[in-house]
Amino acid sequence: MFKLSQEHEDLRMQIREFAESEVKPYAFTWDRENHFPREVIEKMAKNGWLGLPYPKEYGGMGKDILSYSIAVEELSRVDGGTGVILSAHVSLGSWPIYAFGTEEQKQKYLVPLAKGEKIGAFGLTEPNAGSDAGGTETTAVLEGDHYILNGEKIFITNGGEADTYVIFAVTTLGIGTRGISAFIVEKGWEGFTIGDHYDKLGIRSSATAQLLFNDVKVPKENLLGKEGEGFKIAMATLDGGRIGIASQALGIAQGAYESAKNYALDRIQFGKPVAFQQGLSFKIADMATQIRAARMLVYSAAELKENHENYGMEAAMAKQFASDTAVKVTEEAIQCYGGNGYLKGMDVERMYRDAKITQIYEGTNEIMRVVISGHILGKPPKQEKKASPLANPQKAITGIRKKMIFKNGSAQEMVDSLVENLKADGHDFTVGIDIDTPITKAARVVSAGKGIGPKENMKLIEELARQAGAAIGSSRPVAETLQYVPMDRYVGMSGQKFNGNLYIACGISGAVQHLKGITNAGTIVAINTNPNAPIFKNCDYGIVGDVNEILPLLAQKLNTGKKKPAGEMKKIRRPIEKKEKPSYDVMVCDGCGYEYDPMIGDPANGIAPGTLFENLPDDWVCPHCSEPKAHFEKS
Amino acid sequence: MHIVREVTEGLYWIGANDHRLTLFENIHPIPEGVSYNSYIALGEKTILFDTVDWDACRQMLENLKYVLDGRDLDYIVINHWEPDHAASLQEVLIEYPNAKIIGNLKGFQLAEQFGFHIDEEKKIIVNEGDVIDAGNHQLTFLFMPMVHWPEAMVTFDLSNGALFTADAFGSFKALDGKLFNDEVDYDRDWLDENRRYLTNIVGKYGPHIRKILKKAAPLLDQVKFICPLHGLVWRNNFSYLLEKYELWANYEPEQKGVMICYASMYGNTEQAAQALAAKLCDLGVPNVSVFDVSNTHVSYLIAEVFKKSHVVLASCTYNLGIFPVMKNFLEDMKALNVQNRTFAIIENGSWAIRSGDLISQFLDEQMKTITVLNDRVTIASHLKEGQNEEIEDLALEIKESMRG
Repeated sequence: MFKLSQEHEDLRMQIREFAESEVKPYAFTWDRENHFPREVIEKMAKNGWLGLPYPKEYGGMGKDILSYSIAVEELSRVDGGTGVILSAHVSLGSWPIYAFGTEEQKQKYLVPLAKGEKIGAFGLTEPNAGSDAGGTETTAVLEGDHYILNGEKIFITNGGEADTYVIFAVTTLGIGTRGISAFIVEKGWEGFTIGDHYDKLGIRSSATAQLLFNDVKVPKENLLGKEGEGFKIAMATLDGGRIGIASQALGIAQGAYESAKNYALDRIQFGKPVAFQQGLSFKIADMATQIRAARMLVYSAAELKENHENYGMEAAMAKQFASDTAVKVTEEAIQCYGGNGYLKGMDVERMYRDAKITQIYEGTNEIMRVVISGHILGKPPKQEKKASPLANPQKAITGIRKKMIFKNGSAQEMVDSLVENLKADGHDFTVGIDIDTPITKAARVVSAGKGIGPKENMKLIEELARQAGAAIGSSRPVAETLQYVPMDRYVGMSGQKFNGNLYIACGISGAVQHLKGITNAGTIVAINTNPNAPIFKNCDYGIVGDVNEILPLLAQKLNTGKKKPAGEMKKIRRPIEKKEKPSYDVMVCDGCGYEYDPMIGDPANGIAPGTLFENLPDDWVCPHCSEPKAHFEKS
Repeated sequence: MHIVREVTEGLYWIGANDHRLTLFENIHPIPEGVSYNSYIALGEKTILFDTVDWDACRQMLENLKYVLDGRDLDYIVINHWEPDHAASLQEVLIEYPNAKIIGNLKGFQLAEQFGFHIDEEKKIIVNEGDVIDAGNHQLTFLFMPMVHWPEAMVTFDLSNGALFTADAFGSFKALDGKLFNDEVDYDRDWLDENRRYLTNIVGKYGPHIRKILKKAAPLLDQVKFICPLHGLVWRNNFSYLLEKYELWANYEPEQKGVMICYASMYGNTEQAAQALAAKLCDLGVPNVSVFDVSNTHVSYLIAEVFKKSHVVLASCTYNLGIFPVMKNFLEDMKALNVQNRTFAIIENGSWAIRSGDLISQFLDEQMKTITVLNDRVTIASHLKEGQNEEIEDLALEIKESMRG
């Protein structure tokens, strides 16, 4: 029971050998270059490992969950990135199709995934739906034989590299997680594009990207499970996924421990290997103990799952403990290495960075504790709260904005309308600032996003900035990845904050971190080809169009000859949030003047917040004076 | 001695004026007094419409006796059982024990609670739309729940077109000899006290005012006299009154204008209020008024809020909260359902300036459909010369928000 079978040990040795020869020698380069090791994944596919726990009839190896766990562990022992590629493919991309798919869906999608001909990924997380999936904003609207998918997913492991994606989207608005459904989406479908590739702290050999859906037609038969089952499918998938992440964490810890131990046995100080200095020997003892405890948790969760017993709590415990262990052990491993461990090229340095994410993804360790305590304690007693189902939609990140979007008419007409509005708002284009003004001091900024295209298009930005009397800015990828502008030019939460009057975002989609850098902008103008880009929900004026066409027209329109130097900036007024009447009726009692507010409900009489007046039971009466429901007036 | 005025042939006002009462409902000051109106119709039968407050009982009884001139009283209609109208009923019954009392079921339940003794056989319980033949007077009834009590009703005399409206269309201010709307300069002398009465007494019940106005609309071309229980009898120019009620009941401002209310301990916040008022006037903003909330009874503030489109609240911070008098004003606005207004905020504090955030939060969360302007002036103890621009910005924002 506490010893692995020979079959499992044989598999471990087989994978370890592969990892030592095919992965370990290259891990440093992949990490440095952010390289996705497709060639190695293809070799693993040939070995059948991409379908380890799935039945042979669906193209898998027919092994158990423990075998899969060992595979992730062994890969992660040398490279955490490679480990998570397998974990995301097997647990997240393939499992929901295996568990909830129809026979047709399994034949069409699971078989090539299990055979390793295709790579899988899973898209749940969004800017406003991290730990709380109830905030999901991606929508799928049924139109005839297709669902039309619109929205954005972020932090998607295998994003861009994968061929098959399980995507979660809202099919019924306003009812929270019960309105979420799951879909199988293929790479390459029209309107499905890959956005930013993230530049990560660790697991850099794995690909992590943003997914953008713009009117993507998803055939009806690609609905996974039933409508409204998405949240259930997502949670069940993540339960299993946590065994994968726990295995990854375990592998990283194991790798760091072995490396540190070997180094400590090698390194001689005070006349003997430092491993025998009590300070380090105790560290090694602690690391080994923690790793053994983590391993027991991980394998036992895998075994429960294999035997179809409840394993949600145990998987969460394993993930939480193993990831905490990975972070602790990798940190101590660097300590064992001393100054050498702090250098690039040392595996413990990379492992230290790789470990951190295991505490965060597939449910943060805080959420793990929510899951575990939920299993132990059940649901908390009911709390009265102001209702959410009717709550006003989330405010834009940049605050109250006019959101006047021009998308009809010729490019020239749209540009003319835009400039007319800007002038009416008080922007004076006869004055301007220097193009090199620091972002934080600039009254106006023309900013380039990845949508600007090739580097020569930066000329369009420069010309527009000159004519608009603005400084030049950019999104982070344009400065960091494309390096079109220096790093001090990128605007965002982690970059420079813009406090001026006019921000013209050209080809910027509007990642949260970027939007947080322009919350103080007086006026935000967005120019982008994708009408669903988040920037349009966060701007005052927008033009849906191609930067190549719009920017020259706009520059020409703003051309007033030589700009006079702008004096001290006079702040342009931000739009006011006009309070509107709520969309639902508040009803007043004829007998006493009590107001029934659906946001509050009537909890003392068992009416939950969020209940509309018309949905109150017929025998409901005024809680204050017992007047019947019929004797209420619209307030 | 009697003091009586004829409303129309066979219908007399027999109420009384009160200048001695300082606080109406023991809460609202009435420096110009108040009238308690009671009416009597003479015909084949005699019908009394409501009575008066206890304090006015003797005058009403002398009036009643004079008008009846020896006849017995046949009916008493009680439209509204609040004690400022119904308190004298028991005395009337002692004098005229044969009178039958017409009211609705809710009204008689309230009468019981207030301790009136009415024999069951003397009660005539009416339902909405019933018609009672009282000799040559035909009476019909419309129920008017929550204007401003649940039992309130309106009685319409089909024979002479008199509509007895209880507290609806009532007003503060004693009649002092006058009786009809066309005997006074209403805009100049009455509108303010009418507004103050309506907004403070019935302000919360806009939806119910709208309901009774809708219900009564089909009768309107038959109405010749509107006879409320306080204030003047209307016999023409009904549209003037109805237009005002339409605005008040829908919480729409009567005028574009700015009401600046300040709560100031040592005059520093007051200075900001005055500076803003001057700036607004400089910019040509119409109708600017300034109130010190500490020295103005809240009923006047409420009336002004119902009148104006814009309100500026300037408050110092007190015990880390909103200055109590200002807080009370906010609570009163909430209770009286103030909505559809634009607010601006000036805050002051000397070590932790909290009042602005708290006021903003109150307006946003506790009240309905209140727009708060972005520009907020924050004063650390005393306005600095350099803050002139902030005051100007706020004035400009107010002016801009008045467009359209």
